[in-house]
Amino acid sequence: MNHKIVKQGLSTLALGMGLMVSQQAFSANWLMLQGTEPTGSASRANVWGFVQAQYQKDYSDAFVAPNGSELYIPPKLIGPSLDSQSQFNVNRARIGARGANLPLDSNTNYFILAEFGNNLITSTADYDGTESTTKYAPHLTDASITFNNIKQARVRVGMFKYPGAEEGMQAIHTFDYINFTNVTNQLTLERFPSAEDLNLAPQPEPGNSMNRFSQPVGAFRDTGVQVFSTFKVGNWEHSYAAMVGNGNGVNIGSNNGKYNGYLYWSSERVFDGGGKKARREGWKLFAWGQEGERTNAYDLSQEQKRTRYGLGTKYLKKPFRVTAEYMWGKGMIFQGQQRPQDMFNDKEADGGYIDIGFYIPKSKWEIDFRADTYTRGENAAASGPDDKTKYNTVTIGTQYHFNKKTHATVSYDFRNDSSDTVAVNNQLEGVGGRLAIQVTAIY
Amino acid sequence: MQNLKSWIAFSLLCLSVLAAGQAMAAGDSSKPFAEHRIVLQISDPNPFKQTLVLNVANNLLKAYGGPDKVDIEIVAFGPGLRLLFADNENTSRIQGLADNGVRFAACNNTITNMAKTLGSKPAINKNAVVVSAGVVRIIELTDQGYTLIKP
Repeated sequence: MNHKIVKQGLSTLALGMGLMVSQQAFSANWLMLQGTEPTGSASRANVWGFVQAQYQKDYSDAFVAPNGSELYIPPKLIGPSLDSQSQFNVNRARIGARGANLPLDSNTNYFILAEFGNNLITSTADYDGTESTTKYAPHLTDASITFNNIKQARVRVGMFKYPGAEEGMQAIHTFDYINFTNVTNQLTLERFPSAEDLNLAPQPEPGNSMNRFSQPVGAFRDTGVQVFSTFKVGNWEHSYAAMVGNGNGVNIGSNNGKYNGYLYWSSERVFDGGGKKARREGWKLFAWGQEGERTNAYDLSQEQKRTRYGLGTKYLKKPFRVTAEYMWGKGMIFQGQQRPQDMFNDKEADGGYIDIGFYIPKSKWEIDFRADTYTRGENAAASGPDDKTKYNTVTIGTQYHFNKKTHATVSYDFRNDSSDTVAVNNQLEGVGGRLAIQVTAIY
Repeated sequence: MQNLKSWIAFSLLCLSVLAAGQAMAAGDSSKPFAEHRIVLQISDPNPFKQTLVLNVANNLLKAYGGPDKVDIEIVAFGPGLRLLFADNENTSRIQGLADNGVRFAACNNTITNMAKTLGSKPAINKNAVVVSAGVVRIIELTDQGYTLIKP
């Protein structure tokens, strides 16, 4: 009898051990998650996408000029239209397909995605010489093919997210906040000024024509070729990526014949049994660098070097999540929506953020806290129009997960911006809090 | 002399085939205390079905008290053969089930047809036994009293 019980016990234990072997799942390893498909089990076409509907309200005060008039600038308005300090919006509505075009061959897979939401990719400025109006056009954001013939050196070609900052590489529908940090937004989310983009002065009415760019924002994407892979050593998963692209965002083609280079490395200690995919538990260390040249849209003889570097870490073991990243850049430092000509500069900027998340046990709630800082124009000439400007933001937020595919996010940004340039500082002093509420549904 | 060599070669081939057949047929005899005998069919291209058929095998093992109490064979043919590709992402789960007595059969007709598309035969999971035809294997097992389930 005892023998039988022991045998059954061993049998059950062996069964459990055998079946506990985890599935292959490339978690927050964005390179593999976005660039490859599960071997031997990918669909020919897995139609997918997501919708994000949101409400945002900006509590900034207008700058009161000496003559008594109130003036607004873009950071005090809700984008992408910049017509008011509050609005409902469908900021993202993406649909795409991914899979193995010939399911029998795991060596080739593809990824295609288009944006129909209302954001800086689809909603751009249309200048008529004196003011801007809004122009909306759905836009392709991803279209890539990956060859996995050499497992140690997979090749991805087309348009896709380039290897870089964590906030940029992260799948946006799994982002824990609604708005990017200042450092990610200003330093790495590239804008592409055109010669027709004007410098419009601060406006007395929010609905007036504001400074905007007429080309889609970079969206952390580029068109080119990337060699990448991931390999495991014990409990560690090491990944690398090297990419050459046009350096022209989602505009697909090259605008100056110059190429942008990207390098990325990450090492992640994967915790056992810690979930899958985007929220797999682990501790990741990563570093990245980018370099390229941009041609001044207003002076075609000027080639401006653009350099970006970053390093960071992410720890996720429920109920805690901690992410921290530092970034530095030189050249093509974003000067705000105003003075688009000044984008073609050789100034420096740096900043970073720390993000802490707490998943309330046995509930669908999550609490998030983030502090970020960004300083641009550190090497600017004193009293120049682009002198040192600082942005400090503390964000508190919460998420409620209705189910695995649907969640609501609420966040409030406490913003404190200042500039050594008096005219800029006058405008930034009134920048206040910002409330954002968003619902994300993935299909 | 030449004829003798041919006969020896033919005899060896027959013995090999018989041995392979015995190896598969031995599945049931190696589980004399099995109270349930089940053949699971996977012939669907849907990747979800791959996970499903493995989950069903796992649940059967749990429900009937372990590998000694239930005899399970998963037969893969047609598009479902991808489950038994050597590089399938479920390889570790297949190994876990094989370690617990679940048998896997891969259809040779499908392998041959896939080879025409791919240019070479796909590598098959080492835990799988290649059978001449998946559907014939299912008929053999059902004739022996196995219950056919197609998740």
